[in-house]
Amino acid sequence: MTEKRKAREREGHTQLKKKRISSKKHNSRKGEGGKNRGPGLPNQLRKEINLLDQTEHSFNDDDDVNFDDDVYEYEEGDAIEDLKKNHQFDPVDNLEYELPGDFKDENVASDEDDEVNSDQDDLEEGNRRHARMLEDITGLPSDAFEGKKKKDIVVSEPYPESEFNPSRDILDGNGLISMDDLMDPLSRKPGFSKINKRLKELEKKGKTVHAPLPMPVQKRLERQAAYNESKKVLTQWESLIKRNREAPTIYFGEDVNLGYSTVGAIAANFEPRTDFEKNIASLLNDTNVVEAHRKDGARLLELNKITVEDVRDRNSHLAKMRSLLFRHEIKAKRIKKIKSKTYRNLQKKDRLKAVSKAVETDPEVAKELAMKQERKRAEERMTQKHKNRGKWAKRILARGIDVQDDGTRAAISEQLQQHAELTRKMNSMRDSSSSDDSSDDDGSDQISGDSDPEGALKLLNKAKEKTLEVVEGEEELPKSGVLSLPFMVRGMKKRKEAAEREATLALQEYDLSLKQLEDNNVVEGKMSVGPSGRRVFGAVQKQVKEAKNTNVEKIDHFDGNSDNDSEDGFVTKEELEDDNGKVTFSQTDINIDPDVFREVSEIGHDSVFKSFEDIAKDPGLNTTYDVAIFASNSWKKMKNLSGDNMGRKSEARQADLDPVMQNHKIMEEEGDDDSDTDDGGQMVDGILSSGPKSSYELPSQEELIRRAFAGDDVEEEFHKDRDEVLNEENPEPEKPVLLPGWGQWTHVQKKKGIPSWMLAEHEAAKKKREEALKKRKDAHLNHVIISEKLDKKAEKLHTKTLPFPFKSTDAFEQSIRMPIGPDFNPATAVGALTRPEVVKKSGVSIKPIQYEDVNPYERSEDHKRKGPKNEKRKGNGKAKGKMIKAH
Amino acid sequence: MEDYDEEMEITEKKYLRGEAADLKVHNDKKLKGQLAIREKLYSISAKASAKTEKYLGPTEGGCLEPEGFEKLYRISQSSILTEVPILSARNQYDIVLPDFGPYSLDFTASGRYMTVAGRKGHLAIVDMKDMSVIKEFQVRETVRDVVFLHNELFFAAAQKKYPYIYNRDGTELHCLKEHGAVLKLQFLRNHFLLASINIFGQLHYQDVTTGVMVGNFRTGHGRSDVMRVNPFNGVVAVGHSRGTLSMWKPTSSAPLVKMLCHQGAITALAFHSNGHLMATSGMERKIKIWDLRKFDVLHTISGHAKTMDFSQKGHLAAATGSFVQVLRDFSGSQSDSKYMTHSIAKGYQAQKVAFRPYEDVLAIGHSMGWSSILIPGSGEPNFDTWVANPYETSKQRREKEIHSLLDKLPPETIMLDPTKIGSVKPTRKKGKPSKQEREAEIEAAIEEAKSITIKKKTKGRSKPSRIAKKKQEAIKNAKRPFIEQEEHEDKLSKTKRKRVTEDTELPKSLQRFARNKKATE
Repeated sequence: MTEKRKAREREGHTQLKKKRISSKKHNSRKGEGGKNRGPGLPNQLRKEINLLDQTEHSFNDDDDVNFDDDVYEYEEGDAIEDLKKNHQFDPVDNLEYELPGDFKDENVASDEDDEVNSDQDDLEEGNRRHARMLEDITGLPSDAFEGKKKKDIVVSEPYPESEFNPSRDILDGNGLISMDDLMDPLSRKPGFSKINKRLKELEKKGKTVHAPLPMPVQKRLERQAAYNESKKVLTQWESLIKRNREAPTIYFGEDVNLGYSTVGAIAANFEPRTDFEKNIASLLNDTNVVEAHRKDGARLLELNKITVEDVRDRNSHLAKMRSLLFRHEIKAKRIKKIKSKTYRNLQKKDRLKAVSKAVETDPEVAKELAMKQERKRAEERMTQKHKNRGKWAKRILARGIDVQDDGTRAAISEQLQQHAELTRKMNSMRDSSSSDDSSDDDGSDQISGDSDPEGALKLLNKAKEKTLEVVEGEEELPKSGVLSLPFMVRGMKKRKEAAEREATLALQEYDLSLKQLEDNNVVEGKMSVGPSGRRVFGAVQKQVKEAKNTNVEKIDHFDGNSDNDSEDGFVTKEELEDDNGKVTFSQTDINIDPDVFREVSEIGHDSVFKSFEDIAKDPGLNTTYDVAIFASNSWKKMKNLSGDNMGRKSEARQADLDPVMQNHKIMEEEGDDDSDTDDGGQMVDGILSSGPKSSYELPSQEELIRRAFAGDDVEEEFHKDRDEVLNEENPEPEKPVLLPGWGQWTHVQKKKGIPSWMLAEHEAAKKKREEALKKRKDAHLNHVIISEKLDKKAEKLHTKTLPFPFKSTDAFEQSIRMPIGPDFNPATAVGALTRPEVVKKSGVSIKPIQYEDVNPYERSEDHKRKGPKNEKRKGNGKAKGKMIKAH
Repeated sequence: MEDYDEEMEITEKKYLRGEAADLKVHNDKKLKGQLAIREKLYSISAKASAKTEKYLGPTEGGCLEPEGFEKLYRISQSSILTEVPILSARNQYDIVLPDFGPYSLDFTASGRYMTVAGRKGHLAIVDMKDMSVIKEFQVRETVRDVVFLHNELFFAAAQKKYPYIYNRDGTELHCLKEHGAVLKLQFLRNHFLLASINIFGQLHYQDVTTGVMVGNFRTGHGRSDVMRVNPFNGVVAVGHSRGTLSMWKPTSSAPLVKMLCHQGAITALAFHSNGHLMATSGMERKIKIWDLRKFDVLHTISGHAKTMDFSQKGHLAAATGSFVQVLRDFSGSQSDSKYMTHSIAKGYQAQKVAFRPYEDVLAIGHSMGWSSILIPGSGEPNFDTWVANPYETSKQRREKEIHSLLDKLPPETIMLDPTKIGSVKPTRKKGKPSKQEREAEIEAAIEEAKSITIKKKTKGRSKPSRIAKKKQEAIKNAKRPFIEQEEHEDKLSKTKRKRVTEDTELPKSLQRFARNKKATE
């Protein structure tokens, strides 16, 4: 309601303004006439003018009828320039400043503000004067006029004054409708106090509600609050988490009972739950079923009664069959693998023989075979498969059979042959097979001929026969065709002659070898080697054989009197035997095993066998005798455990040991040399004094002196060695050298010498080396060289870098100074030392952490694991603390 | 009570193996916490160890105490015999085996079994508990040395041409032909390596579990039969004829340490079980005790030794000719160190001395068999059955064998200071790798890149051309870092050179100005 009214008021204002403007124009128009001006006019005149105006207005617009007479307007006089008096001003200007029709007062660009102000002042002044004038005229206080003037509100719709219509002051905008205004009329009604009370309460509560905050801010605040809240909750976990973090070991799933550990335990406690399970259980546990099963089983057993013998028989039978089958299988497998052509040929022959036999004896078989053959033949005749009709054969033939390689040619000819065979008539088949037989025989003969002399004999005979045949058999010369041409005939003759010559040669050879073979058979059956090898070998072998015989004798003898070397003796004997055996049986070996000779000669060093040394001319031979030992006269000869009668002779021999030698031996023994008797025959026993190597001379005086003072320059030597090693490990820097030819043509560099930076570098390197030498562990130890080489293989035993939390190597190395293994710590402490960071039962899921009250000032390591496991462990631990290994 | 506490503290300290970590040094809270926990565990362990030592190792070692001005080394074996219990008295005996020449011998780790080898081929294993011969046989060959392998079931004998491995029944199991004619054998128990030195001065290491020849080096100092293994770190020391001693490990062909010990040839060598002490004797009649931590001489004792051995408690037995002396306590002056002396009966020449572990017994192999004498206080009185058990049953032995095989150390763990294992890798001393090394590295990287098998992908994506391309790319990528590094170094060196030249290569006329400038500054 009120708003509407206001809008209407505003409308009214604008209308007023319009009106004013129009009147202004009007006035100015009138002003031009110069008739009425300002307050100077007498009232009567003005009234008349007003009337005139009114008429005009009413003519123009009827809306404004209502309020024309209660408005008095002060008409401002026109500006001087507007008046155009005396033509003081430029007339063009005037035209420019004429206002447009819809010009509004408020929007006037005020370039003449003060003028306007002064105008307003004038206006106020005018108003006051006007008021005074009205006072004077009417005798009424000026307020009455002012009020009239102020309230230029137009009530467009006349309505009666009532409580439901807006009062005058409301229209004025002076007063707002308050609660009291509304309440006043109710004051005397019943229930007023109640309403009043409620209102008062409302007033009290109902303070102004602010507008809601913008969304982001609102949310931020909410988040803050939530954060604070959650912080409060989380901080109480802090000590717990700290404890876990600092704990050397965290235990998970300690108190989880894993339940049954075996399938049996689970099965025992099984209870059927689902219908299916229940059904099954009822069936299983049904007494009827159980009973029936039991009875049935018993009955079945009764039925199954068999005698032991039967069973045994059956078993044995089965086993037999099985073994037979198995053997058969094995045999078949073996046979299948045989690759020998001869064997296959033989097999084939057997098969054919069998077939032919069967054909002869069994008419049905013969019939069958004939049918088979007939069918094959018919097929061949039908298909002509083997007559070079195939794609492949055609191609080969097109290319020419002469160009082909042997294999292809053979294949082609085979095809042809097969074709011929198959297309031939049945009765002619037998011949070809017989010819095959003969060829097979030949082959087998040849093979077997190698193995035994009789076979060879046969072979030779056969060959001889054949060659004779060839020689004697006159070939008919063809009388027509190409071969009958004269040059061909000549060539063939030549060839024939050559063949004859060869044949005769071969015959001679055959004869010779036949003779030899016979000889061999007569004289020594086992020898069948090529003549040359055998001849040479035979002589040597004879010798060796002789040697062997004598050797064996001697060895026996030797064994008899050798005391310390008996083992050697045995060895040689055995070896000899072996080797001799080898000599006699190995036929192709022409070289005699040098070992044999060595062994032989070893024995042969005894003067009795001097002759043998001629055979064994091995300069590097050593008389490797273990020396009977020992110089100190009190020592006895060693007695063999086997308790023979040996040793007497050797003792006797030792008795005639050269006394000088003995003395020398003592010396040697006491000396540093501690020379073994077994190396290189330096020390030779008395037994061997007569041998070739036993010549020992006393060292000369010079030699003795040299030996005595051998260690004199030891230190110098060592220092030299030391320098070498140092140089190797810390090499001396190379001396700076100019590249020859570089920069020399100017003679500048020569004068300058080596560039100074080179020298400087050299100096630096030298200094570095010296420092490195000083840093060595053996820098102050003249008599020690400690190698500083890094062992690459041992690198893996060191950490490459310092482990994370540590900052210094010293601290780290100190922390690992204690060994933590079970070898170095008592069993009670090892567990704690080597316990992993997390201890967890396998197969148990880790539950989220649970809140518990933890004293934040408690030391973390005091936190002991709880549960039964702990006690168990204690029980299991080794009762005895392990001592620390001596280090 | 106080004494007790002090004693415990001392032993505890021993088991702590050094100072505890200083937590104040570290700024890292987390590290501090971890270290604190560790240290606590260590101290618990050390305490427990100290306690076990106190209560489970109560037997005290015996010793000789002089009365008044009595000289300890004048006390004879016969006078000791009257004082010791019967069981100990049984340990004093002479075995005369006149026929098979000087004997060398060796004990198992537990001291229960002994193997002896006569030079002339007599081999035997003896159970020392009841003095029964388990097996005795003749190889009818020179036998120069004998050594037990990891237990009494196997032993190796260095024979005339080759060393052989026999089992307890005397069956020949292996002939180690590669070793050649070996003069001295040693067995490294923790590494299962059989070390030998042959007549040509070649040192061989053979793994007895796999049969692999782990190392084969020329010592380059000629024939030597003085070889001993340092039980602490497994380093093998060889004494040479020129008075030098070289120490070897199986993974390097050059000796770890070479030292000049004597003027004359080294005749004997022995290591203390803690690895700090070494005794050498030279031909110039001097016995020297060395501190191996400093490689310095602790004592020089005049005398000659053909063979030496350290006991578990640190007594040193040295024998020459028929005279045996035992020294101890090398902290004091020289005269104090002589503990006992003994002359072998009838002037038999000593070949080898060896203390029997866990017993106060010294066994002497000599030219007429072997004898055993009592040296009070020489053996460790308390044995740890986990380490060595003299009363081992066969089942325990089998268990032990398996365990020791599982705990077998690889040969590269042999180094001078095995406590350094696990520490940070020593930095390369050379600043710049040589060109060859660099090339080798590049080659290795390329090989690695080549060897990567490319995954088979969907059709079309693994065309041969693509695969080839990929491979080439991989090679390129492998090469790149090396090339870049080289370029970088080149650049660096160039700038350095420039700087050097700028510094020094002022023209002569301007040099004085430079100096003046410096002076003014």
